[in-house]
Amino acid sequence: MKKGFHLRDIILLALIGIIFGVIYFAAAFVYNGLTLLLTPVGYGPLANDITMGIWCMAGPLAGFMFRLPGASFLGEFLGATVEMFLGDQWGAANLISGVVQGAGTEIGFTLTGYRIYNWLTVVLVTVATTIVTFAWDWFRNGYSQFAVHMLVVMIIVRFVSIFLFAGVLNKLIINMLTRAHVIRR
Amino acid sequence: MNPSLKLFLVLIVALEATFTSHLYVNLVIIACALAALLYHRIGWRRLSWLVVITLVPAAALFVTIVFFSPAHNVHFAWVLVTRLYVYVLTGATVSCTTSALQLVQSLEQNCHLPSKFAYGILAALNLLPRIHQEVRIIRVAGQMRGITLHWWSPRLYFKAILVASQWADQLAQAMESHGFVEGQSRTYAHRIPLASRDWLTFAVLVVALQALMIALP
Repeated sequence: MKKGFHLRDIILLALIGIIFGVIYFAAAFVYNGLTLLLTPVGYGPLANDITMGIWCMAGPLAGFMFRLPGASFLGEFLGATVEMFLGDQWGAANLISGVVQGAGTEIGFTLTGYRIYNWLTVVLVTVATTIVTFAWDWFRNGYSQFAVHMLVVMIIVRFVSIFLFAGVLNKLIINMLTRAHVIRR
Repeated sequence: MNPSLKLFLVLIVALEATFTSHLYVNLVIIACALAALLYHRIGWRRLSWLVVITLVPAAALFVTIVFFSPAHNVHFAWVLVTRLYVYVLTGATVSCTTSALQLVQSLEQNCHLPSKFAYGILAALNLLPRIHQEVRIIRVAGQMRGITLHWWSPRLYFKAILVASQWADQLAQAMESHGFVEGQSRTYAHRIPLASRDWLTFAVLVVALQALMIALP
């Protein structure tokens, strides 16, 4: 069979997007709750960084599962597309976040040349995703106006969040899938 | 308006609003989006939910910039607040007036999206209720054995992905056995028209947006 994405892979990627969508739907109150808690102390936007890793999970998981160029981008983008159809508040703007987050995670895999799939990949994906999503939010949320110490805290928190959710949690899922022989080696 | 053009228009608006900071342009866009939503008779409950839920991140940005940033730039804070509403309300003009089926069909017919993506996404979306059910079953099955599966448990995702992988196999096989061939040209039962009127509306709105950006502060 020639390499590339086939109907089955596309259905699976979209299903993974839906699974993440369904599971985080329960976690969405975390974002709103944290924002409300942190706003009075001036750290409201930090909630976005704390939860950033959760929104970036589908991409790295797809990248590890399919091990093909473009898998991570497609996984993240299809996840965002599905979220748009599920009817969350951001609607079509989800597609833009999907492109940004997908590009971030994909760059991480590109840096390894799509050959290495271990903890190094996790770290590279985390670094690339942190930088790309932070650059986008710089414009979107007007970070140029924020105090420097706050920006430093935000980027560190974002890195840790992406590492824990999109990195460690995904790697644990991948390890289970590898042991179950779901992932073709 | 043609669903694909509507989607592209909203994406253009969102991108321009991100990289510019014109308060009045944002307000005009919000007014237009609200008018479009009311014209399409969006339910009051849905509309008020959109407005209220967006208050949370909007208030966070506003408070941080006005009270906790070095410049205390109130004007810029309002730009950010209105920008969030631009995203949410223009996004709603697509998602509340167009069904997933219409949008995907339009992308396939008018924008040459490969049919494997169009039908792959639709197939997966139709499984949404079953996925809800499956996640619930996995959790309940865990509880029966005294294991609580939280949303951060890798096991929950692992089990759900196993099921999804099986469903994806079965669905793809079913579709192929019903004659679906990747990359083959297809005929359409429902045509989504892309008339010159759609292009004209699209062009006029994009030009009007640029004119607003230049004219208003």
